[in-house]
Amino acid sequence: MTTARTPSRISARASSSRTRRPASRFSTRNSLAYLFLTALILYFLIPIWWLVVASTKDVGGLFNGTSGALWFDKTFAFIPNLMQLFTYNDGIYIHWLGNSLLYALTGGFGATVLAVLAGYGFAKYNFKGRRLMFSLLLGSVMVPLTALVIPTFILLSNVHMTDTIWAVILPSLLNPFGVYLMSVYTSNAVPDELLDAARVDGAGEIRTFFQVAFPLLRPAFVTVLLLSVVATWNNYFLPLAMLSNSKLFPITVGLGLWEGQASANNSGGVSLWGLIIIGSLVSIIPLVIAFLTLQKYWQGGLAIGSLK
Amino acid sequence: MKKKVLLSGLSAVALVASLAACASDGGTASSTSAADTTNCTNKIVNESAPRIAVWAWYPNMATVVDNFNKLHTDVQVCWNNVGQGDAEYTKVQTAISAGKGLPDVVMLESDHLSSYSIQGGLADISQYGANDVKKNFSAGAWADVTQGDAVYGIPVDGGPMALIYRTDVFTKYGITTPPTTWVEYAADAAKVKAAGGPVFGDLASNVPSMIMALQIQKGAQPFQIDKSDPKKLTIKLDDQASKDVLDYWAGLVKTNVVGVKDQFTTDYISGVVNGDYATYVSAAWAPGYLSGAGVGTGASSGVWAVAPLPQWNASNPVSVNWGGSSFAVTSQSANKQLATTVAKGLYADADSLADGWKNQVIFPLNTSVLSSQEFIDNKSAFFSGQTANKDVYIPAETAYKGAVYSPITVYYYAQLTAAIAKINQGQISGSDAATQLQKDIVTYAQGQGFTVTQ
Amino acid sequence: MADSVGLALPAPAVPREPAVRPLRARSFKRGAAKRKHSFAGWMFVLPFMVIFAIFLVAPLAYAFYLSLFTKGLATGTTFTGLAQYVKAFTDPSFLKGAWFVIRFAVVLIPVQMFVSLAAALLLDALTSRYAKFARLMIFLPYAIPAVIGALMWSFLYSPTFGPLQNIASVFGTSAISPLSPDNVFGGLMNVVTWQWAGYYMIIIFAALQGIDPTIYEAAKIDGATPIQIAFRIKVPMVSSALLLILVFALIGTLQFFTEPQVLQVVSNGAITPDFTPNMYAYNQAFAYANFNYASAISFSLGIIVFIAVYIFLFATRKRGSILK
Repeated sequence: MTTARTPSRISARASSSRTRRPASRFSTRNSLAYLFLTALILYFLIPIWWLVVASTKDVGGLFNGTSGALWFDKTFAFIPNLMQLFTYNDGIYIHWLGNSLLYALTGGFGATVLAVLAGYGFAKYNFKGRRLMFSLLLGSVMVPLTALVIPTFILLSNVHMTDTIWAVILPSLLNPFGVYLMSVYTSNAVPDELLDAARVDGAGEIRTFFQVAFPLLRPAFVTVLLLSVVATWNNYFLPLAMLSNSKLFPITVGLGLWEGQASANNSGGVSLWGLIIIGSLVSIIPLVIAFLTLQKYWQGGLAIGSLK
Repeated sequence: MKKKVLLSGLSAVALVASLAACASDGGTASSTSAADTTNCTNKIVNESAPRIAVWAWYPNMATVVDNFNKLHTDVQVCWNNVGQGDAEYTKVQTAISAGKGLPDVVMLESDHLSSYSIQGGLADISQYGANDVKKNFSAGAWADVTQGDAVYGIPVDGGPMALIYRTDVFTKYGITTPPTTWVEYAADAAKVKAAGGPVFGDLASNVPSMIMALQIQKGAQPFQIDKSDPKKLTIKLDDQASKDVLDYWAGLVKTNVVGVKDQFTTDYISGVVNGDYATYVSAAWAPGYLSGAGVGTGASSGVWAVAPLPQWNASNPVSVNWGGSSFAVTSQSANKQLATTVAKGLYADADSLADGWKNQVIFPLNTSVLSSQEFIDNKSAFFSGQTANKDVYIPAETAYKGAVYSPITVYYYAQLTAAIAKINQGQISGSDAATQLQKDIVTYAQGQGFTVTQ
Repeated sequence: MADSVGLALPAPAVPREPAVRPLRARSFKRGAAKRKHSFAGWMFVLPFMVIFAIFLVAPLAYAFYLSLFTKGLATGTTFTGLAQYVKAFTDPSFLKGAWFVIRFAVVLIPVQMFVSLAAALLLDALTSRYAKFARLMIFLPYAIPAVIGALMWSFLYSPTFGPLQNIASVFGTSAISPLSPDNVFGGLMNVVTWQWAGYYMIIIFAALQGIDPTIYEAAKIDGATPIQIAFRIKVPMVSSALLLILVFALIGTLQFFTEPQVLQVVSNGAITPDFTPNMYAYNQAFAYANFNYASAISFSLGIIVFIAVYIFLFATRKRGSILK
């Protein structure tokens, strides 16, 4: 079984429990370790705990509550907050959630497909301009993206694509780092001999890729997919500049819009802070679920950038 | 393979060239392109009528747009809310720089009009009959949207300034009448502080437009634009009046009788609710702003009142304005005549205006409202039944003479913000901050190619 | 098996061969066969390169072209060559911002590294359910968009209704403000560490899991303690992952933008519009209508990033191992 080579072994190991237990006999050291671990958990979890608690408060409880920021207030307004979140402004929040999913899935999937193909091309073929393109690719990570927004806006408005979903999806297809990861991974995980054997058997380049190489690249595919989805999901600046129609906003830009209105308290009597908080909570749930359910795929894959 | 490299290189060059070409013909007042009117937040009532794209962030805009569209068969508004204040300005600036992407009509705060008109982003709508509605506004409100004969916007709401105060704090510390002069304001502040009370007010770095208004109140004239040539500016940020106002507030900060927190933050509002501030130097939109934040309910209900803004010279009162917006027509609009019709008519019908002021969304500038008996006699719930419009806000608006906002407003505000932050941190005196500011702004304006008179 | 592990285990003392080199050496021997496939190679790379050309190369080229012009609100645009770059590198706002992000990187990155490496080593050594739970919890902030994360911290940092106030009131003092001019450095450091340390931890952890356990067994037989194993064997073996993270963190920190931009509104003036070079470029472009100068600032920052990464790779003697 060729799939038992390096990368999949790592991901399998990451998910299965291991047999060596180096620290179990040193109980003082062990309890110190668990103390440190608990401190870390608290540090990383308290802000999220705060978000959960805050989403159960009404506006009064949020800013002038009596039980502190990290505990529940007298009034438990989680359900009313949730109802208001989904009904405010004709349920615009649901639009935003749907848009974020659409952009993240299409943009993320597209970027991953391009990255797998390009990574394979860079790793397994030697062609003119390969080195130049690969250096360009890595150098591009260093240029601040502020410089790109206005030119990209001009470009897309020339083809009448600003304020459409394509203005967000198409630029999201660009993931140079994904290509870099895939190329590093491919050069390690796909042996040349295997490809040559397939070619000797008369398989074309495309068939060789799909039938021989791609199955070996699956763990990296999932990892790059997840990274691309997260990158698109988290994107704020690009959709902010490209979109005017609030029905097309992803959730980050939508919550930003609310924050602007809330700061000016210019929402016609509805205090938006409560909605922003519960909206933030709801917005992180899809990604958290994705990470939790897919962890055995991506955890191993994350090491691939350093597998050399 | 060489051919391919060459091809891809060429196509990149072609792309850049096309980018360059469209950018050089954009950004000028002559270029027009039809704004996108297919994606509207609102429903179009008359499908056959031509559409005008509008960006605006008034919270009751959905109602306002529906009212307009029902009243008009010749034109329909296609509205979107692309963000409030800076969020919208980012998009406006992107579209002006790109030469594309602006709607026909855009809501702008009046102090931002010059910044975009100098870039050729806004149309002078005096030629499209904007002056027809001049009579509907006070002289000051109209002055804020014009430059000489050019009209760059139709005013909707304003912010004549006043002093909101807490009656509970005033009663507790024995202040029987609200201060009418700034000298009294400082004395009352010291009195409350000495008795162990809260701070009296707040010098916030993030409200430079308010500081500018207070300087104008004392007679400062920060900017003047040459009527015949908008590229000629007079800048006076370090005259005695400007220095005096900054020194006055710096003094209050130094003696800890006013706070130094930024405003429009949840932190500040929560302090207002808790009674951490005895007064709020603010404008006519403030009651709506505060109510929206939950102030005036629960523990902080029934404790608010409003008085005219304190004066430097009680016998010669000066009225100033903070905030307020207007509808401007963009130079990218393909139908500026029709866009002007929208700018004039949107938020100008009786229903929309009534919805606006009754729900405390705006303080309207339209004189049909300002002179209506219902508006005059309205007993403000926020101010426990005080006739705030009649007593304070309408006189302030009527007496307002207008101000001149520079074409470098955003940069100026940023520098003024930095100066106030330094004052609040005790790093600089008010006068020195004014001197420094004058130097910075003059250098910047000259760097932008303005002819500057100091 | 041993061979594939070898790929994951760079020996730090020995100068390492770039990973693709053996492959290329082999391919040159069979040069003719390889060249036949170069058309196919192009085809695989082409879709990405098209997107790359349209959404990166073209906009960048255009932005560079714009940076060669000077725009004045009252004068319009004139060609000035590199004058905008001269202006940037003598502009106190840009230099102050650049100096800040460099200092920030120098302090932040070691702290972040320490937290994520310590957590990863610990989680690699412990195999309990609790450790597994901890791993996910530490990673969780990565799933939260930076904009929303910063928004959350703007609440948590509130001296009026945030938890700091609750803690301070227990001790009878007033809460410190993590975004006051004196504290803003640490306040931002905390936000960034919270957001990213978990992500870095997972990368290191994954690399640790890739080490062949038989190596520890040998060390244990030789009498090495777990701590010795951690620092003498594990850390050197994941040095390549550490390097990757360091370069990421360096690039990301020098381009610092989202967190200070979001927290600016609650900083009472401590975070200025020119706080970091990227914020300065953003404000030049979108607030002050000077996209030409903004482009020049962005490229100047790009130059600084490039130099910093190069110096860093040179210092770690890993030149060329990433930028090959």
